[in-house]
Amino acid sequence: MSEAEIESSKTNPSTFLSDIIGSSVTVKLHNGVEYSGNLQSIDGYMNIVLDEGKEVVGNTISRTYGDVFIRGNNVLYISEA
Amino acid sequence: MSESTGQASEEAVPATVLPLEIIDKSIGNEITVLMINDKEFTGKLVGFDDYVNMVLENVTERDNEGTSTIVRKKMLLNGGHVAMIIPAN
Repeated sequence: MSEAEIESSKTNPSTFLSDIIGSSVTVKLHNGVEYSGNLQSIDGYMNIVLDEGKEVVGNTISRTYGDVFIRGNNVLYISEA
Repeated sequence: MSESTGQASEEAVPATVLPLEIIDKSIGNEITVLMINDKEFTGKLVGFDDYVNMVLENVTERDNEGTSTIVRKKMLLNGGHVAMIIPAN
């Protein structure tokens, strides 16, 4: 890959975040619990708001929520569902 | 005299390479990220920021219970718990 191609295929964290707003995501926390839902909002601290949030412990959905606010310090990763 | 010493010192001082420049060279390549809590993530690095938060593609997660069967297409990994970044083989 040429340098220009690499440059254009780069996705920095801030670009990624603006790309995935409104889409369905999975958020994993440091305690191992996962939340999936529609990403309403995220900021530079990785504070996250999901709607139709589902709490997944292990592989089973344990609870569902209308809206979920997740404080950023708990977030291990956020991925496209 | 002064000219020659000037040239000599230019040659003697190696160009500084910043740590983040090394990571920048791995963009587009497969890497393994070791976390401080015995977890690791392997995937293609597509970008990162000054906190070493990383955007990865086709990521597999591994911990002391084994490798996850789930492959995450694209993820943003929080840099706060990253211990080490290794180019994958």
